[in-house]
Amino acid sequence: MPPLIVTHELGKTYGTVRALGGVSMSIDAGEIHALIGENGAGKSTLINMLSGVVALSAGTISVAGKPLLTGSVPASEAAGIAVIHQESTAFAHLDALDNIFVGREPRRCGGLLLDKPRMRAEAKRLLESLGETLQEGLALSALSVAQRQMIAIARAISVDCKLLILDEPTASLSQRECQALFAAIQRLKAAGVAILYVSHRLEEILALADRVSVFRDGTHVETRDAKGLNKDDLIRAMVGRDVEEHDRGVVTAPGAVRLSVRGLTRAPRFRNVSFEVRAGEIVGMAGLVGAGRSEVAATIFGADFPDAGSVSLDGVPLRAGDVRAAIAAGVALVPEDRQHVGLVLPMTVGENLVLTVLSSLARGGLRSLSAEAAVATEQMKAMAVKAASSAVVAKTLSGGNQQKLVIGKWLAAKPKVLILDEPTRGIDVGARAEIYRLIRRLAAEGLATLVISSDLPEVLGLSDRILVMRKGSISGELARAEATPEKVLALAMPQEKPQAVRA
Amino acid sequence: MKSSGPNTNESWWRQYNYWHETVLAMLIVGLLLSASVLSPSFTTVKTQVGLSSDMWELALLALPMTLIIITAGIDLSIGSIMALSAVVLGMTFEAGANPWVAAMCGIMAGTACGVFNGLTVAKLKVHPLIVTLATLAAFRGIAEGISLGRPISGFPASFTELGTGTFGGVPIPGLIFGVLALLFAIALARTPFGLSIYAIGHNPLASRYSGLPVARITVAVYALAGTVAGLAAAIYVARRNTAKADIGTGLELDVITAVVLGGTSIFGGSGRILGTLLGVLAIHQTRKFVGWYWDREELNFIVVGVLLIAAVLLNRLFDKKTK
Amino acid sequence: MMFSFLRTREVAVAGLILLTIIVVSCVNGDFFSGQNARDILIAAAPGMIVACGLTLIIVMGEIDISMGALMGLCAAVLGKLVSADHAALPVWAASFIVLALGAGIGLINGLLVTVGKVPSIIATLGMLTALIGVSDLVMAGSTIGNFPDSLRSFAIGQVGFIPVPVLVAVLCIVACVVLTRYTPLGRRMYAVGSNPHAARLAGLPVQRLKLLAFVLTGALTALATLISAPQLDVIEAGFGRQFELLVVTAVVVGGTSISGGMGTIIGSALGVILLSLVRTVLIFLQLGVSATYWERAIQGGFIIAAVLADHVGRKRGGHS
Repeated sequence: MPPLIVTHELGKTYGTVRALGGVSMSIDAGEIHALIGENGAGKSTLINMLSGVVALSAGTISVAGKPLLTGSVPASEAAGIAVIHQESTAFAHLDALDNIFVGREPRRCGGLLLDKPRMRAEAKRLLESLGETLQEGLALSALSVAQRQMIAIARAISVDCKLLILDEPTASLSQRECQALFAAIQRLKAAGVAILYVSHRLEEILALADRVSVFRDGTHVETRDAKGLNKDDLIRAMVGRDVEEHDRGVVTAPGAVRLSVRGLTRAPRFRNVSFEVRAGEIVGMAGLVGAGRSEVAATIFGADFPDAGSVSLDGVPLRAGDVRAAIAAGVALVPEDRQHVGLVLPMTVGENLVLTVLSSLARGGLRSLSAEAAVATEQMKAMAVKAASSAVVAKTLSGGNQQKLVIGKWLAAKPKVLILDEPTRGIDVGARAEIYRLIRRLAAEGLATLVISSDLPEVLGLSDRILVMRKGSISGELARAEATPEKVLALAMPQEKPQAVRA
Repeated sequence: MKSSGPNTNESWWRQYNYWHETVLAMLIVGLLLSASVLSPSFTTVKTQVGLSSDMWELALLALPMTLIIITAGIDLSIGSIMALSAVVLGMTFEAGANPWVAAMCGIMAGTACGVFNGLTVAKLKVHPLIVTLATLAAFRGIAEGISLGRPISGFPASFTELGTGTFGGVPIPGLIFGVLALLFAIALARTPFGLSIYAIGHNPLASRYSGLPVARITVAVYALAGTVAGLAAAIYVARRNTAKADIGTGLELDVITAVVLGGTSIFGGSGRILGTLLGVLAIHQTRKFVGWYWDREELNFIVVGVLLIAAVLLNRLFDKKTK
Repeated sequence: MMFSFLRTREVAVAGLILLTIIVVSCVNGDFFSGQNARDILIAAAPGMIVACGLTLIIVMGEIDISMGALMGLCAAVLGKLVSADHAALPVWAASFIVLALGAGIGLINGLLVTVGKVPSIIATLGMLTALIGVSDLVMAGSTIGNFPDSLRSFAIGQVGFIPVPVLVAVLCIVACVVLTRYTPLGRRMYAVGSNPHAARLAGLPVQRLKLLAFVLTGALTALATLISAPQLDVIEAGFGRQFELLVVTAVVVGGTSISGGMGTIIGSALGVILLSLVRTVLIFLQLGVSATYWERAIQGGFIIAAVLADHVGRKRGGHS
């Protein structure tokens, strides 16, 4: 039987940055095809190409032997390709019935009225085929993530679905919910649906997948039969990149304790988190997406209220839930979402750079434009921001330069503790190296640095010490000397081995 | 000025930031020129000063409204705040207070109303449209309730001077407005407060994560609107020598129209006092000329409504072209 | 969390209405009479009719504030068309023209929002201002009277023992409830408001649905004029002015979320009744003439209370 989906030399570039290149792979009907790779390896780009959200820069896709009109969501849908996103793109105010059928509702009375009985029967059948029961009349927002996911899958298979793409489907599911999902996937597979399964959870992949494709740095590295593979094989294939490349260089002896976090809790996101960061030290925080790392950072920074616990800087406790107090004390946060939280994109580079020091630069209540220009120029130079001038709008900069802006904005405030959340996500290799050098230099100058990252080589290469979080608490700490990708992943991965049913 | 890098390739008109203001100014000049041909008496200084008397409340309120709309907010209640301030002023005066003390009480009442709006928007995170729709009814309702709809008059001439007097040929309300407009323009363009307002309008979350006092600034702009509404009430009462709970009805719509016509984006993040001044002037002149030439007040409404929609449509067209 | 705020709000508003009726009836027995209930419902009828359309608009994340001015224009045009002093057209023809006029203005609003991409608050604000001018133009500074009896029957007639305005309002409510709950069209409107991006991905004609809601609201506003304007002997300038505030307030009090996706027709209708009760209640409480001056303050208080209740509800509902 010929493969269902064949891609030929797919490529995507954004400006000069290559997001993905030379992807030629195939997916069979009734196959569970896993897609793995670190963050930024190009997995989402491939998903977006298949679903028509992103137009191709090069290559072709064919479905069941027929070429697919790419870059068109309706065309992909018509070809039977459906995506279940991590964050469900559903209608939170509507119930299961509406969510499954909206846009293609069964009708009666000459098409005027909804055919509720048929909708009900059909939805029941679809959900039952997935091992789920129908709860009518409850808004989606009142259901659990797992239930919402099943409803999304039911919507996808309510029409003729040939390829179902699941993007990190188990990221926020409990063990039992995962099992239910795996069973549903096996049933779909038995019904001849091709599944493209994207996940960081390697055990899941080993238990479920027929074949595994590995992506790394925007290229398709290999596709292998899953049979006979083990976790270490997968990790090796994913990591690939030389860890030594980010060698820390001269490691200065860390100074006094700067940041001290004691028993910090914000249920249900994280519980009883305690650690310290010393002056001149780079502490890495590893873990899977959803382990609660960003939430810990936001709480330290005062953006969220903790339920319990304390944060102190140089021994002085910080006022909980007060961003301005945290900043005044010397805490800086480079957030995960630099486009929406890190920067005010429609404002200029200069304006963004002085945002944190606006009032301290003012003279007699008025902004001192010369002082602001001086700060902006200094930070642009220090960060090597590539922009024509400080009057350029931040939106027009590349991802790497935007990230340098965010860091520069904080350095202008002369912080004592710098927290970086996924500092190089979506940034090209060149800018990445620059940002690493910068982080190291700042640490050498005595800044206490906490780097949250899902990128293993990054954490391993940068950190003096690595904290690993799993499901809202710290599962272990590794000294630089003893840290290996395998050890970090072992601490980060869910402990319970999923007992997926193999068809 | 010399520019470097890729900017040199861009023609000057792409970098010119004042298109909206320029077009608006040209429209106003065009209107005044045609007016001077059609009806020369309209453009004399004397006529213009006379016609300006009922523009000042609108002009004053447009200043804080510009700030509010730049933060991506809106205030529908300013007309009602004016009414409440006027009633407080009138009743304090009636109770025997000095009219100037009474005016201060009115302004304080206005500020309190603004603080209430601001706190509800900033702390309870309720949509400003809803908050001020509620207080639009509530504040005027309170004004009606405490005054029982009675007009209060009999203010001394020394006080009514505030609304009717002139200083060196310029109406006193005009002077007050001039000073305030200058202060607002400086605040917006040259203070940390001003830049914070733009940042909040573009992205409140990033502003909070940069350590800007988002809640405090939000409360401040609504409070400022209340204060200015109180001031406008005092000027109105002085001009008409009457304080009544029905003043300023529907004024919020004129004010918003002027601000949006002046180029402030209803989605927040952009706008300037200069634009607002021109917006006020455009509305005022068009309106007065239509009333003057055709002698039909009702045409004013049509003109203002059409102007507002046309301004937004044109603005969108311009945006597309320059981006 | 099994916290269905929607239903809670309808029950809360209905409960508040009942409580008001009970309390006021205890203070003044005359309040509890069929005649009084009839009067209150007649007064609430135009608001309920327009609220049906506005609910759909707000559910889709847009707003319309031009209804009051449109009512003024519809009344003026209706008057001019049927009055024996003016065109003296047959009532059916005049009614048809007025309904078409309302739908037409709604269409312009809708086109400005969907095609012109003007934010709905601005588009309908501009429309509100312009329509005030147009209706003043039509009225030409005088009043219009001398209506045929057949027109008056729209407002003061009854079918059986049910007054015509109440009957029309009930029919509108029933039709819109069916629309929102049992038709693909209605469910799609909620989907658009709930998640515009997903709605586009699901292939829903977002712009056309919005356009439809604006046209419907325009037509319903005209209908509301037909059953309310003829209650008066003469139509004066300023008819309907600020009517939009009552309706928007009522829809929000009735539980429709201004950010879209949530709200029911029944809730909105109950909201109109609650707000319309205030005046009557103040009269029946016999607090003296002065009390009626507090009507608007109380209405404003209601919406603030609704907003606060919403806030508390959201907090208790957790971050979902």
